[in-house]
Parts: sequence; structure tokens; C-alpha cells
Amino acid sequence: MTINYNDIEIGNEMPSYTSTPITRTHLVRYAGASGDFNPLHHDQTFVKMIGMKNVIAHGMLIMGIVGEAITSWIGHKYLRKFNARFLSMTEPVDWDDAENTKDRATIIVSGKIVKKFEENGEKKFECEIIAQDALGSKKLSGFFIATLP
Amino acid sequence: MADKSKLGLEFPAYTFIVEKDKIIEFAIAVSQKECKEEINPIYYDENAAKKAGYEGIITPPTFPTSSFFWTGGGLMGTIKTLGIDLGRLLDREEEYEYFGNIYAGDVITRKMKVVDMYTKGKGKRTIDVTILETELINQRGELVIKYRSTLMEI
Repeated sequence: MTINYNDIEIGNEMPSYTSTPITRTHLVRYAGASGDFNPLHHDQTFVKMIGMKNVIAHGMLIMGIVGEAITSWIGHKYLRKFNARFLSMTEPVDWDDAENTKDRATIIVSGKIVKKFEENGEKKFECEIIAQDALGSKKLSGFFIATLP
Repeated sequence: MADKSKLGLEFPAYTFIVEKDKIIEFAIAVSQKECKEEINPIYYDENAAKKAGYEGIITPPTFPTSSFFWTGGGLMGTIKTLGIDLGRLLDREEEYEYFGNIYAGDVITRKMKVVDMYTKGKGKRTIDVTILETELINQRGELVIKYRSTLMEI
């Protein structure tokens, strides 16, 4: 499916994307894949030492999930800019209390087209994005700019 | 506290081959899957990528972050160089600019430098900000991706 510039309007929403609840295993996998071994994301003893309760997800994992949301809507080749500001921490699911903790670990990505413009001979649009957990806490806000045929 | 004398510092350039399996590993991690067969085939199957309009197997949008810590002694070495306290470090903002695609098999040179360092706030409630700019240049000398990382110490 290819989206054309003429198919989109300001105010249109990008398809919403919901992540799998993030587990500590996802964090370890992302640490290995990204090379970001900050102990904040996997080592409970470090987390305790700096006065926090739980390990937290990498901001860049949340941005990566948002990247998935974007590229499952428009192709990589159209992406020109991708910005993310990290707003709050994301704690993973506790397996021994999954029912009560899965919502805080589930990331929902949504976005809305705010601008259409031409630049350097390309037809572009800007889409604001928000990632929040299933409890409504905002994790990341940002935008992307893409070109379309 | 970030060492402001490091403003302008360039980390050693790092050249690497974009390995197919590294792309798969990264794509699995950000899509929260368990194996290759569950991810988008444009990340491992050349024919699928070509069908989707690419020259070859492509990389996820935030893939360049995977070479962020490949020089300067990894995370610990990098923050030590910058004078950043690990227990206070937070990633505040990331901005990627795409000028082209990175494909499997590309030879990428990563250049990273400190482009800004400043302190926000007053008295006890100050935040140190360090901004790094990273450029990824392919084997043809083309700048394909540039990104800015805003790190904070709170």
C-alpha cells in the first residue's frame, strides 16, 4: 500500500500502534542489540543504589517502537526527520504481578498530521507523535517529517 | 557534572560493515519479536526489500544508535570522558535526519562530536546538558544519517 501526498490532509491521524507489554527480557534484548548497557535498564542492585524502585526501559527502545509504528504506516524511504523528547520513565511488567503492571508497560503510539509543505522540490508533511502507556502517562512526544509521491 | 572543557571534542571515527544479522537483531528488539521470521522481511530478505522499492536490505530508523557506544570505551568510557555522572544520566531528546538509506553490507564511518554543553536552572536545581552530534557516512562518502542526542544530568 502506498500513500500519496494528495491522500492525506492536515488533521488526519496516523494508524495507532500498540506495543506488546515491555518485559525485562525485552530490555535485555534491546541492550544487546543497541549496545546500550546502562545498568539502569537491567541491574536491580544499581537501580536500588540510585534510589529507584525498578529498572526502566531505554528511551531509545520507546523511540524504536515509535519507529516501528511510523514505518508500518509509511516506508523508510520517505522518512526525512524523526524527533523524540523523552517525558517519563517506563517500568516493565512484573511477572509476579502481571495483571497490575502490564498497562504501565504497554506503549500506544498515535499521531496527527499538522503540516503539509513543499521543500527542495519534495512534497512533505509533518506528523506530531505521542507515545503513552495504557494508563495514559506520556512517555515521548515528538514529530516526524516525511515526503510522499 | 559534565566537563565543559569537552565542548567541541570529537570521538575517534569508527568504520564498520553493516552486518545482516545485526540488522535482524536490532529489528527483532524494537519490534519485540522472538525470531527473524516474525519481523518485516525487508530487514532480512533482499528480494522483499527490492520489491518494496529499496536497493537492498534496509535498517530500522533508529539503527544508527547501535554504533553510539562503539568507541570511546563504551557507555562507561564515553560518560567518563564527558564527566557525566551515570546515576544522574538521562536521554532527553533525539533527532534523526535522513538523507539516504543505510543498507546491509554498507561500510559506514561514524563521526561523533560534542556540539553543545550548558547548565540550565539556578541554585540547587540545575541540569547539565550535553549535546552530541553523530554523522553516518557511507562507502561512497555520502552523509546518509545525522542525529543529535541531548543528554541530561538531573
